[in-house]
Amino acid sequence: MHKLRHIIRHEYLTIIRQPSFWIAMTAIPVLAAIVITLSVLGNQSSSQHVAQVAKQLHNVAIIDESGLINKNVVKASQLKLAPNDQLNPLLDQVKKGTLEALIVYPQNLKVGRSYQIYLASTDFTKLSGVTTLADNLLKTSLFLPLGSPQIIALAQNGASGDVTMFKNGTPTGGFNDYIAPGLFVVLFYLIFAFSVSYMLTSVSEEKENRSMEMVLTYVKPRSLIIGKLLAVCLVTLTQVLFFALLAIIAYVVLINTGNNISLPLGISLDKISFHFWPIFFGATYLVVGFLMFAGFMTTAAAATTSAKEANNYSSVFFIGAFIPFYFITTIVTDPNSSLVHFLTFFPLTSPVITLIRNTVGSMSLTESWLALGTMTVFMLISIWVAVRAFKLGALEFSQTIKLSKLFKD
Amino acid sequence: MKKPIVSIKDFSLTLGGKEIIKDLSFDVMPGEIFAFLGSNGSGKTSTIRTLLGIYQPTAGELLVNGARLTPDTASIVGYLPEERGLYTRAKVLDTMTYFGELKGMPRDEARQFSLDYLQRVELSDCANLKIKKLSGGQQQKIQLGVAIMGNPKLLILDEPTKSLDPVNRKLLLDIVDERKQQGAAVIYITHLMEEVERLADQLLILKDGRARAYGSVDDVKKQFDSESIEDIFVSIYKEKSSEVSHA
Repeated sequence: MHKLRHIIRHEYLTIIRQPSFWIAMTAIPVLAAIVITLSVLGNQSSSQHVAQVAKQLHNVAIIDESGLINKNVVKASQLKLAPNDQLNPLLDQVKKGTLEALIVYPQNLKVGRSYQIYLASTDFTKLSGVTTLADNLLKTSLFLPLGSPQIIALAQNGASGDVTMFKNGTPTGGFNDYIAPGLFVVLFYLIFAFSVSYMLTSVSEEKENRSMEMVLTYVKPRSLIIGKLLAVCLVTLTQVLFFALLAIIAYVVLINTGNNISLPLGISLDKISFHFWPIFFGATYLVVGFLMFAGFMTTAAAATTSAKEANNYSSVFFIGAFIPFYFITTIVTDPNSSLVHFLTFFPLTSPVITLIRNTVGSMSLTESWLALGTMTVFMLISIWVAVRAFKLGALEFSQTIKLSKLFKD
Repeated sequence: MKKPIVSIKDFSLTLGGKEIIKDLSFDVMPGEIFAFLGSNGSGKTSTIRTLLGIYQPTAGELLVNGARLTPDTASIVGYLPEERGLYTRAKVLDTMTYFGELKGMPRDEARQFSLDYLQRVELSDCANLKIKKLSGGQQQKIQLGVAIMGNPKLLILDEPTKSLDPVNRKLLLDIVDERKQQGAAVIYITHLMEEVERLADQLLILKDGRARAYGSVDDVKKQFDSESIEDIFVSIYKEKSSEVSHA
């Protein structure tokens, strides 16, 4: 038992002392934050700039053949409607550059739902400005008869639905119920992206650098594998705590700086609900699924002769983990289909499918237990095969272990 | 009367349907350097791995200190395998301490032993360097340090001087000799016959998994009527297997 402790300590420290570990851990959230911030700021800046350009457009002519444009709306924009028969002279002015733009609302606008814009330059900002102007003139003219500014705003922006969903006659928290179990799906992919590959690297490196034989003199293969698995679990826990800490810091900073966090689908941070069973199954699917994939990776690393070769085999498992996303619509909208049931109990896809179905609440308690039981069996088989591959392949430095040999006595 | 530290009787090993070792028997006494010789593929490494409990014998008995060796009792053994290496991304002192702990040494003791050893082999400055920063010869000295940690009763050294320069080779052989003086038995695997002549008390030449010569260095020389172990080795390997009589 004390040797297991030494192995865990050694493996854990070897991973987390690598600068690359912390660089990768911080780089992803930092890069994501930078990209999102730049994107939001860029969009805001761009929208403001376009609106500004639209306001400054005064050398623009408008021809309304449709009869839908309100003269007062045009006047409010410090522009004037031109007579319909002036199309060609105005077009010539645009060509010469003496007129910035010409907007023509055709007679069949109601049916054709398109209007023409003629622009004196190839400036995309100006094009966006003229398009915004033309769109605003049309929408405002159409909404104006509604009268009340509130009604106009409602017609323009629509309204959000305050959803109440019932389960067995009891109201649920709607999308707020999905957040806590949904976090386990996100966590699974984060862990999958970072930690599972550590198992592969750890075993492959030990073979590649030839330290294996010295270690196996003093440690049983099973102890070594279990020690490595537990160390990777600890590394994973470190990562989860690190990401959770970053999320808490980001949340506190946003709240204290007066930023309102607006989430889609009526989700509210203070209304996120925590129910026992979805969280219990989310956590257990995550742990069991993680151990199952770690077992697959160990087998790939132990049975092959180098990390490069092991990586080739491991890509099969990566594909398995991402397949469910191709069926996400079916999983959510038709959870009782044969395909979804098959993927729920198929080893490579079961962790992600069960985590998604657990999130949207499409599994009965019985099916949840059954899926957990099946996945646990797969996980135990995966670790058994991993230990066996390790026993056979640990000291095989020059040839790959054949699959058939793994199951022979 | 001294008891052998290693006792191998009627040992046979078949791996993947291939017979690797057939009816091998020999003893190694405490304080003795036992040269275990044979060309590549003769079965030396497989014998050592079975002795260490990594492989299971097909037949026979392999005992260390009167019992079958397991990872739990292996702390009496220091092993420097032929396929050797260290954790390249870890630091020298951390790696040595880790192996000391795997051998059952308390952490502080393993650390102190490592520091003393590094000072002796003039690598004190490298204690906190990553192993990948060291030269091949320096890494080999660290590997020997790992093997002798905890003053094991039995040292198994598989080509320990391979690719070492003369200075470091002498340093390593001095350490081996010192361990012998302190009562440790050494199973010494090498292709360098001058090392056998200089160090060995007993020797065994293995060919095709069978012992072809076994005894004290002088006895083997007498038996083959030769003054050179190298000549004996070459003559054994030149003969067809069927013509060689069991020693």
